[in-house]
Amino acid sequence: MPEAASSHTGTKAPFIALAKPFTPEDEVALREALKRCSPSTFESAVQFRKTGNPEHLPAVVIGVIERYVEPELRVKLKDAADDLRMIEDLGIDSLTMMEIVILVEDVLQMTINNEELRNLRTVGDVKAFIDCKVRGLPLPKPTKFLPIEHIASVMPIQPPFLFINEASVSSLGANGKYKISGQEFFLQGHFKDNPVMPASIMLEALGQLAVLYLLEGLVPEAGKAVAPNLIYFTGCEGVRAHRICKPGDILSLAIKPKRMKMPLATFEGSIRVGQEKAVIAEEFTLTFGFVDVPVAPPATEVQGAPASQPAPSAS
Amino acid sequence: MSRVFITGLGFITSIGNDSAQVEDSLRHLKHGFELYPPFQTPDTPCKVAGTIKGFFTDSGDQEDWTYPERYKFKRELMRTMAPNGLFAHCALLQAIEDAKLSDEDISNPDTGLNAASGGSPFLTHYNHERLQKLGVMRCSPFGIVSSIVGTLNFNLVAAFKIQGSSCGFSSACASSAHALGFAYDDIKLGRQKRMFVVGAEDGNKDAILPFAGMRTLSLQTDPAIASRPFDAARDGFVGTGGSCVLVLESEEEVLRRGVTPYAEVIGWGQASDGYNVAISHPEGNGLQLAMKRALASASLAPENVDYVNAHATSTLIGDISEVKALKAVFPQASTKPYVSSTKALTGHGLSLAGAMESAFSVLAMKRGFIPGSAHISKIDPACEGIAILKETLNEAPSVVMKNASGFGGANVSVLFKKV
Repeated sequence: MPEAASSHTGTKAPFIALAKPFTPEDEVALREALKRCSPSTFESAVQFRKTGNPEHLPAVVIGVIERYVEPELRVKLKDAADDLRMIEDLGIDSLTMMEIVILVEDVLQMTINNEELRNLRTVGDVKAFIDCKVRGLPLPKPTKFLPIEHIASVMPIQPPFLFINEASVSSLGANGKYKISGQEFFLQGHFKDNPVMPASIMLEALGQLAVLYLLEGLVPEAGKAVAPNLIYFTGCEGVRAHRICKPGDILSLAIKPKRMKMPLATFEGSIRVGQEKAVIAEEFTLTFGFVDVPVAPPATEVQGAPASQPAPSAS
Repeated sequence: MSRVFITGLGFITSIGNDSAQVEDSLRHLKHGFELYPPFQTPDTPCKVAGTIKGFFTDSGDQEDWTYPERYKFKRELMRTMAPNGLFAHCALLQAIEDAKLSDEDISNPDTGLNAASGGSPFLTHYNHERLQKLGVMRCSPFGIVSSIVGTLNFNLVAAFKIQGSSCGFSSACASSAHALGFAYDDIKLGRQKRMFVVGAEDGNKDAILPFAGMRTLSLQTDPAIASRPFDAARDGFVGTGGSCVLVLESEEEVLRRGVTPYAEVIGWGQASDGYNVAISHPEGNGLQLAMKRALASASLAPENVDYVNAHATSTLIGDISEVKALKAVFPQASTKPYVSSTKALTGHGLSLAGAMESAFSVLAMKRGFIPGSAHISKIDPACEGIAILKETLNEAPSVVMKNASGFGGANVSVLFKKV
């Protein structure tokens, strides 16, 4: 399982100061609150409440989400990718989301407000959000879902050499999908009468997703933007192919930044087809550069305009 | 103006959870009372209730509830329900099956739903307690929709994808009779082709015990004689819950679908006492007028009515008011119509009463009998002069009147005719 809790920050933030000691009464209340969750969820919650160690958070969060997902969909949460969507993939409606939030608040002794809630679209969003919240770090940008039109409009790479159909990008990484159509020009020769997606192209697809991350997910300092025409591949390590991928397969691509030091950006990446591992790249590095952009003046508040979106109303 | 027929019934009641069981109980005067476990504490003087068998709903967490195996509920559906919502959902499924309705017959702009329950004081209490204990932002997101008056229609309309008119009715113990009357109007006026009429109540501690303060509950400890309308020794009503559903359809729909109705609804009337917030008018003025209006709307003479299923709850004042009203409306009251109160068997279902006893009335009409008024050993002299039927009569009534009265002196009377 991807460790969102520990991988997105170079240096681990210290454990949060525990508000108060964990009493036997607290444990009884916690057991009652989590009575319909797995025993391991309860154990992780006890450990978190006792030690404040955020490494226990993903298990608690997944355990709470699992409790509210219809039994037949729970299998999706096993080894869930971070881009698993709460509504579309897990059938969780906004009211169930409230139930999840209330239980998480109760179990982790935190408060989540309505504004924050609206940005949590994927399992990864939820995990990262709670991790940042517990550690007192600034909250991550919400995941952006990019359709092919948007991807093609920002990418320096274009068809027929673009291997992303759709993508979601946050400040923590990016996920994408590519369906091998069988119409790719190189499949005519790779191989003779046996079309197989070249491993080098799959690595290329991961590289393209990393490019998209640099353009859409990275938050540069004010007045700077990543220049699309300054991004190039430099190297990779620990690349292994585990599965032959053929026309009809849908590649699920995922990349996360590991180190970011101008002009080098290093990522880890993986490709899966369904639940099967297809390609792992322990490390690959791109060079990139910034260009200056005019700094937009701070938006002035329009008189009478609401400061924020009103909460969805039931009636 | 369309004629209106009843084509389906559903029952979750203290005397049975399906029509066969209910028929047997009504015919053989088998009551549904027990010493209700939550009442068996030293500080609860009231001991008996009409209990719903096969269900456990005495928990604020719906996932703790249990129900008969023939029903299947997902967590997502249950989480917004009060106990009365669960009962009603089951009763509605029965009524739909009984009326042989397809999914298309249920979900369309010409099919609506009228519902009545007193909400769920039990869940209101539970949720408010959590709100105070855990904090305002940590109370259940379903606290409102599962507990306020209206919870019944919110849940059923959403679960059954009702697209026609829908409304909740709140006139205390006349509520579901009002729901039935207005459903009849909607079909008669051509606004809807089909209406579900639903009455339901939790029937638990929080729904029943608040009546103790008014001294209207029976404190009798013997379940076999606790509820005895018209009896000289009656000492108050026995509470109950559950749900009943009636399917009302236009003549056109009945013919199109080729189904055989239970009965025809031929009219209804309502009037108010304008007298007291909780006590019925001593002469039953409002109820008299409601009955007269019902007869007028059906163009019937009082002599045409064979049987009145009385509101009579087994309270001291209420039963006498109704007897006086019956005497005033029916010139030959001492011999016709027959009168009985099936609350002697079920207990008083509050908002549910009107729908439940209407369903009983048309079921008995269809099956050819008139249920007796159980548990009378000595008729109250003040209740003499009307034809109270102590034993079940194996004879189908041609026209039945159903009375219902609620707080504030709301009175409803509905008429059914044999088909």
